[in-house]
Amino acid sequence: MATPTSVTDDEPPSPPSGKQPRRHGGGGTAARLAARLLMSDRFVLYLTVLLFLAVLPFIPRIASAGNFSNLLSNFWPLLVIAVGQTYVMILGGIDLSQISTIAVASVVGAAVMTTGVDPVLFEKTVLWGTLLDGDGAGILAGHVWSMPAALVLMLATGAAIGALLGTIIARFDIPAFMMTLVGLLFFSAVAVWLTRSENITRLPEAYGAIADRGLFGVLSWSALIAVVVTVAAHLVLSRTVFGRWVFATGMNRRAAIVSGVPVRRVILWCFVISGVCAAIGSVLYSARLDMGRPAFGDNLNLLLDIIGATVIGGTSLFGGRGKIIWTVYGVMLFVLLSNALNLLNLSYFTVFIVKGCVILAAAWLDVKRRELLAL
Amino acid sequence: MNGRSLWVLALRNAPLLLFAIIFLTFGTLSERFLELQSFENIVKQASFIGIVAIGMTFVMLTGGIDLSVGTNMYLSAVVAGLLMQELDASPWIAFVACIAVGLAFGAVNAFMIVRLRMVPFIVTLGTLVAGRGLALLITESRGVILPSEMLRFGSGDLFGVPNPILVFVVVAIVAQVVLVRTRLGRHVYAVGFDDKSARKAGIGVDRTLATAYLVCGACAALGGFVSVSQLGIVNPGFGEFTELYAIAAAVLGGASLFGGVGTVLPGTVLGAILIQMVQSGLVFLRVDIYVQPLVQAAIIFLAVLLDSVRNSTLRNLDRRKIRVEPTAARSTASTRSRADPPTR
Amino acid sequence: MSAPASAASASAASPPALEFRGLGKRFFGVPAVSGVDLELRHGEILCLIGENGAGKSTMMNMLGGVLAPDAGEMLIGGEPYRPAKPADASEAGVAFIHQELNLFGNLTIAENILINTMPRLPGLPLVNRRALRREAREVLDAIGLDISPDTKVDALAPGEKQLVEIGKALAADARIIILDEPTTSLTNRETAVLFELLKRLRDEGRSLIYISHVLADVLALADSIVVLRDGERVGGGPAAEFDQPRMIATMVGRSIDQLFPPREVGELGEPVLEVESLSQPGIVRDISFTLRRKEVLGVYGLMGAGRSELARILFGLDPHASGTVRVAGDVTPMSDPIDSIARGMAFVTEDRRDEGLLMDSSIVDNMSLVSLPRRGGGGLFLDAKELQSTALGMAERLSLRSGDPTLAQPVRSLSGGNQQKTVIGKWVIERPDVLIMDEPTRGIDVGAKYEVFTIMNALAAEGTGILYISSELEELLGVADRLLVMNDGMVVAEFPREAFDSERVLAAAFAREQSATATEASA
Repeated sequence: MATPTSVTDDEPPSPPSGKQPRRHGGGGTAARLAARLLMSDRFVLYLTVLLFLAVLPFIPRIASAGNFSNLLSNFWPLLVIAVGQTYVMILGGIDLSQISTIAVASVVGAAVMTTGVDPVLFEKTVLWGTLLDGDGAGILAGHVWSMPAALVLMLATGAAIGALLGTIIARFDIPAFMMTLVGLLFFSAVAVWLTRSENITRLPEAYGAIADRGLFGVLSWSALIAVVVTVAAHLVLSRTVFGRWVFATGMNRRAAIVSGVPVRRVILWCFVISGVCAAIGSVLYSARLDMGRPAFGDNLNLLLDIIGATVIGGTSLFGGRGKIIWTVYGVMLFVLLSNALNLLNLSYFTVFIVKGCVILAAAWLDVKRRELLAL
Repeated sequence: MNGRSLWVLALRNAPLLLFAIIFLTFGTLSERFLELQSFENIVKQASFIGIVAIGMTFVMLTGGIDLSVGTNMYLSAVVAGLLMQELDASPWIAFVACIAVGLAFGAVNAFMIVRLRMVPFIVTLGTLVAGRGLALLITESRGVILPSEMLRFGSGDLFGVPNPILVFVVVAIVAQVVLVRTRLGRHVYAVGFDDKSARKAGIGVDRTLATAYLVCGACAALGGFVSVSQLGIVNPGFGEFTELYAIAAAVLGGASLFGGVGTVLPGTVLGAILIQMVQSGLVFLRVDIYVQPLVQAAIIFLAVLLDSVRNSTLRNLDRRKIRVEPTAARSTASTRSRADPPTR
Repeated sequence: MSAPASAASASAASPPALEFRGLGKRFFGVPAVSGVDLELRHGEILCLIGENGAGKSTMMNMLGGVLAPDAGEMLIGGEPYRPAKPADASEAGVAFIHQELNLFGNLTIAENILINTMPRLPGLPLVNRRALRREAREVLDAIGLDISPDTKVDALAPGEKQLVEIGKALAADARIIILDEPTTSLTNRETAVLFELLKRLRDEGRSLIYISHVLADVLALADSIVVLRDGERVGGGPAAEFDQPRMIATMVGRSIDQLFPPREVGELGEPVLEVESLSQPGIVRDISFTLRRKEVLGVYGLMGAGRSELARILFGLDPHASGTVRVAGDVTPMSDPIDSIARGMAFVTEDRRDEGLLMDSSIVDNMSLVSLPRRGGGGLFLDAKELQSTALGMAERLSLRSGDPTLAQPVRSLSGGNQQKTVIGKWVIERPDVLIMDEPTRGIDVGAKYEVFTIMNALAAEGTGILYISSELEELLGVADRLLVMNDGMVVAEFPREAFDSERVLAAAFAREQSATATEASA
């Protein structure tokens, strides 16, 4: 006598009136087409193209070469950071602290490299005497490898912050959004504290060169870095053991534990990746501004772009689903959106309204996608 | 009482303990801190945070979160302020409008979270942003100056009790009564404990959740009103970070991010005063202005950590046993006659 | 023990409180309950007994409005009864007290009992505390619980919580109360208190259906007994006509439909899993046994006997307080599944949906999960081709049938049998020394079961020691070389193949000593 599939003696099945996901086979062809479109990899790419075409008549200069180069210079850093966020989201979490990581890394790196800051402004800071010497120059100022060392230090900072948050989240089961929110609060305050709100300037020329647009805005250091990071992230996620572990942990943590996945370590490493990616993004952003800037930690706009781009791309807030290419499309959309809003000369608060609504739309799409998968 | 039950007792009464520790620490380090005038000031300044945090407590009890309260405060205050400034409306009308906006904001959140089944923190993150943009649009990012009647209210008092504190106390009492003595309140706790069981028991889970977000919205607006009555002006940055302080106040007061646990009295009230106490204490101690936010963040972290530790400790204690061990000490209820202490 | 004469004569003329006529339910075409007739009078306690999977829960779920019957009908008080949802059942006066309690620990007893009907103050939306306490007090008196109604439920002992659940039923004025395995976590004293209450309720004229595997309790409590087997009623009658042997005999004795592949028990290998005095207070006690290579060691026991808990402890998922475990001679630390896997252990868990599979991942991804670090291809990147060919080979070996020849389809779309094969395949790629299987044939069809047994035999022949945990007795008797019986967290009996006897096995599994082995702290 075969035992029925879903009914065991110790578990009554859910009541017939319970919530059932809508099965999309019931809709018409239009509905089914819409569903397939929504679920396709390139949905957001199409959205981006649509957006472009929609705003083109209003702001024709959006299609100019100058603007294109502008777009790209915004695209690369955001892409790198969002790639890191993607890992954490596939895990089922979120990393709200990335912008504070950007701030701290920016400050720390600049402090080491700077050829001289105004002593009056910086005498009282913590950096004075530690990363800044008695004359106001960074401890490595002038050396030929001051910049590489600074870069390494920035990455290390990102890794350290990520590791700290990741360890706490993995060990104590604190919800990721709450812990990284606290991290955001703490580390953005750290960045400000380190310089007492001052920016660190007079950085070596080679640093600013990272942000040079290069040929057509494409052949630049920023582009190279971003592409390398993105490709590497994609390969790790889709072709390595670790990548499979990330998906497994995000999809079904208990099954992952039973199957021997080192879940705590996976969580830790995902946050480290997120932190390092934020640090790399910090390199690109700071090079563009040519300064170490603690105010990154207050940049709500940037935070929205990061989260929005990752979610609208298709990576699910619920975990277990995500692709790097989706994030690439998502970042494209958000960069174009920001650019368009900028060119339309909309005030920054209108931008908030638009971006806020886009994030809500993205979150709603996430729910819809899950329903379609009958999850 | 062995070490383990001492630890559990400490976890259960964390808010009171924390309050005592912080109070004594600051008190010993700075005498000025203990003066009644300063303490009254602290509570007065804590009032608006407390009101917002009380609303947040409702939402957290159901297991949700509302990050948009700061924006809600701002938007509601802006509407009230503009009504008084541009249309010469009386403060009472402005007050009603303010609460109405707060409720509407809460309703928008509730719709997306309950009806569309979206994740609470991302929904309220979205409304946080969009709402602030909207409010800034309305004010063109300029400040809104309030009539002097507001300031008189904010700095006035009734029988020697400053008005803001009065409002805070009234809201706290009403909230506590609702949570403890109405069906809705008990349903809030039930849903937070286990929403599946709640559905099975016939509780209107959706209705309960929606109400929680509405209450949170109304409290945010009310808190905003109280705050601007003390400031006299609604600045473009009004309400920023308030959500964090409100969450911190609730968590410090014993409310759990995981739902089902928490009180308004004494919990959240103590938590709000605690937050303000820390802020004021750091000022009294002349702590470096750049170190203050670090300390505040660390305290919030501590509260959140305690919450998680308590959650896993209690979960482990509850793990179902199959056997009855011959020598296990069984505590029978006949030795218990009082309910657990109210801080649970 | 039997109902008082007055109640019996009073209900002789009126329709029975509850009646089932030819009640049936199928799942995916497979009958879980078929053609069951049942009659429950007012003021009667009916005990429902049967093995796991006999259909008891399904039947009660129909009564409680959770499932709709496919055949037959139910009548309450002579009137047709067709609940569409649990709320309908409550309205009809049916209360279902599940094994997993539905109480809110953070609320008081009074609030739990009257969660939806808390009395209010006139004119105000406030709860009338005094009235609430009073009404709750009445209920507490009725159930004989002498605790303040303002006590928070999470402060109660399991027995007291059980009584509060019954209190809820009384507050809703339930005339028919179903209790599903209520004594699993209760002390003897709490059980005695419970039984006193149940009898009192019966004497008041209420009807109770009591499901339990503690046969001694059944005999102490029941007015009448109904025995289910494979979804059918195979016996029943007044409790006076039954004794434990007769109950067991009625539960057993089905024709063995399933076919088992021939089991050649050759020379057993050396010990591969040695467990000594394994204990975890409240879970298992003093477990000792040895599993040899090439051996299939069955573990039988009823729900709540501690089998799955034992498996989880052996694999390192749950902690243990004392005892040692050796795998292939090495003392295993057993702190972590990763360690266990490294030592050569494998664990097919009870619930494949919950802990066995990544439902939205492909067959290949699921199958390769455990062996990924070692079978990925060796380089920096995974060799997708190699993973696929390994999976294909395993699928072939397991006769796993999937629509997609590349095995890229999500496991969610597979049948139960193929899902289970995916799980087994995942564990078997690296030929474990010890394979623990917990209910591996649950929810799969007969054909697939046969295939699972064949796989198991093949594995054993290659040297793996298999610990086969199941609640399907005939299966165990068909495939195991040796059988351990667990009861109340301990191993209570061992049967070599020659001595396999289903009645004796069941007797060991159902045995519960009536006399108190537990000394209570306060009498």
